[in-house]
Amino acid sequence: MNTVTTIAALLLFPSGLILLLSGLAFEWADRKLLAQYQNRLGPRWFQPLADVVKLLAKEEVVPEGVNRTLFIALPIAGLAGALTAALYTPLFGLQPAYSFRGDLIVTLYLLSLLTLCMGLAGSNTLDRFSLVGATRTLTQLFSYEAPFMLALLGPAVAAGSWQISEIADYSSAGRYLLLTQPLGFLVAIVGLMGKLELPPFDAPEAETEIVAGALTEYSGRGLALFRLGKGVELVVGLTLVAAFYMGGVANPLLWLVKTLILLLVMVALQALFTRLRIDQTVGLWWRYGALLVLVQWLIMVLVGLL
Amino acid sequence: MTTNTTSERFTVPIGPQHPALKEPGAFRFNVDGEIVTSATVRLGYAHRGIEKLAENQNWVQNIYLFERTCGICSHTHATTYCLGVEKLAGVEVSPRVSAIRTLVAELERIHSHLLWLGVSAHEAGFDTLFMFGWRDRETVMDLLEMISGNRVNYSVNILGGVKVDVTPEIVEQILAGVDLLEERTKHYLDVVSTDAGFLQRTRGVGVMTREQAEALGAVGPTARASGVARDLRVDAPYLSYSDFPVQMILDDRGDLEARFVVRLRELFESYRLLRELVTHMPEGELATRMPRRIKAGETVSRLEAPRGDVFYFIQSNGSDKPARVHVRTPTVCNMTSVVKLALGHQLADVPLILAGIDPCFSCNDR
Amino acid sequence: MKPGTMLKDIARSLVRKPVTERYPFERRPAPDRLRGQLIWNPDPCTGCGLCALDCPADAIEVLVIDKKAKIFEITYHLDRCTFCGQCVESCRQGCLEMQDDQWELAALDRGGFLIMRRKDGAAPAKQDSPPANGDEQAA
Repeated sequence: MNTVTTIAALLLFPSGLILLLSGLAFEWADRKLLAQYQNRLGPRWFQPLADVVKLLAKEEVVPEGVNRTLFIALPIAGLAGALTAALYTPLFGLQPAYSFRGDLIVTLYLLSLLTLCMGLAGSNTLDRFSLVGATRTLTQLFSYEAPFMLALLGPAVAAGSWQISEIADYSSAGRYLLLTQPLGFLVAIVGLMGKLELPPFDAPEAETEIVAGALTEYSGRGLALFRLGKGVELVVGLTLVAAFYMGGVANPLLWLVKTLILLLVMVALQALFTRLRIDQTVGLWWRYGALLVLVQWLIMVLVGLL
Repeated sequence: MTTNTTSERFTVPIGPQHPALKEPGAFRFNVDGEIVTSATVRLGYAHRGIEKLAENQNWVQNIYLFERTCGICSHTHATTYCLGVEKLAGVEVSPRVSAIRTLVAELERIHSHLLWLGVSAHEAGFDTLFMFGWRDRETVMDLLEMISGNRVNYSVNILGGVKVDVTPEIVEQILAGVDLLEERTKHYLDVVSTDAGFLQRTRGVGVMTREQAEALGAVGPTARASGVARDLRVDAPYLSYSDFPVQMILDDRGDLEARFVVRLRELFESYRLLRELVTHMPEGELATRMPRRIKAGETVSRLEAPRGDVFYFIQSNGSDKPARVHVRTPTVCNMTSVVKLALGHQLADVPLILAGIDPCFSCNDR
Repeated sequence: MKPGTMLKDIARSLVRKPVTERYPFERRPAPDRLRGQLIWNPDPCTGCGLCALDCPADAIEVLVIDKKAKIFEITYHLDRCTFCGQCVESCRQGCLEMQDDQWELAALDRGGFLIMRRKDGAAPAKQDSPPANGDEQAA
């Protein structure tokens, strides 16, 4: 691709601005669906956009005693990680912008970069709430990461490749891995909820216990960037799970339909469960999460041998 | 603002401004990782000097002052005050007045317990139960609005009687509303006692044994959930409770789950009582003449608010203004149990333990 | 112990309309027993002033202009009123009642909240403050 189309791809479509806007759109869909499940109205379509615009217009307060460079750089690094991860996924049903062998691992790492940045941002400040929130964020990162990664590697093994575009093409050829690898699918969905810190795994940002968790001291631009990062992470995560398990995302319409169906199921799980304490989260993942995904792998290996 | 980091222990402030609190109160928890090692509480942020204000207003104006001590148990405060003043003046109210006051008191209990259910579920992170519980609470709010014209601060009491009457249409609506609420409460009781995620947060958390509850002086559903058999409607019946008795709901587990179960089962008692009350409403006049100057003397009146027992000491010196009114609300008694019970628990359990006593800071600060 | 006890609730809500009332586009009618703005019927008034004495918010003032001719003036502070209804009960002549259909009484400035009426219908001793936001003044 020549320079102009590269820059256009990075800044506008499919990455960049359109991705940020679709992150906001998916955040709205998440909140609206949750409201519908709870028999109430929910926000209007421009609410997340209005939130971001308002936050960008507000003063950014840098608290005393923090490392100023880190405070300002961490949101940018987090958002950059999420946006870069999006370059390798089949967003909007199109082929990924860039693709190379082994990019599945790189993408998973880049998605974790956002969570890591939030944890570091929380530890950076002296505020008790942020410290507790940062501890919880990092603890949760260590608990769901391994099962989630293994769950996404299941389709990789089935497709025989570690390149996202190849795995997506493998699934698009009519193979619904959610039926052949149901345990992996379950762990992938629940792991995605853990990664995105959606209830019941929102102990790191439990509003009634630690105000806003790791992001308590953030306001203005920093908070806006973290929120945008979370929205992008939502889109990327949904795309990955839909592309791997739900029969691929061959064109934009299929992508939209499949990610929305996945969101429907995820929001239902959000509405059904109470928030788990952080020790219960760790216990759940290291006992049941890891067990399920290992059983799934065992089955795959046995079926492969036969 | 320095952090006290001595060997990894530091202080987490909950309040006076905190999303866990609906009203201000300053808690300071020293945590070691996630475990609470010590706790202190400081109250008084909502103090408005109501007891002193009462000395400058006449007996009639004070009904409305005391009603506004709290938004959730407003009728309880007004009724306790009116009962005390009527006792001092030696005025007997008609059975119909007592029945209407009881009716509104029980409706208030229903509204308070459903509100508490939602708020506690929100503290636990179970927003769905919060939303559905409050949606069904609208039924009882509509009933109260139909009877009194207002959803909060019903102002149905006057000295010597009530302002509103209960007509057959209202009776019909109450019966229909109670049927709906009973069905929904059954569902919530089922949710609270069987939902796996919710039980993980409430079973075995914040256990208060019977001896502890008696030593700390806990009252209300908090004490009854630990097996302490204290309920003023049964021990010292007032209003119409001698004619329409209620059963005491006890539970001996003493943990958060027990508190949920006790309050929800109390709702069933309220529904039963309401049905009986509106179908056998006694006759009588709605208001009895009261003198403007109350005889000198002092009296005590007690009522079972949704949170426990409310105690009013009223002293008169023969004029048209009270000499002294002292109010002791149930949250004062239950607050020490929070700081005691929080020790050894995780930080994530603390908002739930606080919500479990149904705190009303406006009540305890007056 | 079951995992998802509220499943039926959320499944049913997915296909039903939300219960939220879209205020101000949908407005509920006021309840029958609403205690709204105070209405003073001057004819039975004897100027005893019990309503003013018993008001917990000092929202009523009774001015006696001519006791023999029974001309009184009532000043009603709508912004101080707590709508408790005690004045209605205290009045022995039954001059007071509360309006029961208007509950949106908020306004952006204090003009229009001071309402004065004379018993014989003449202009009050103090002037009414100019009405604001077109809110209705009780007859």
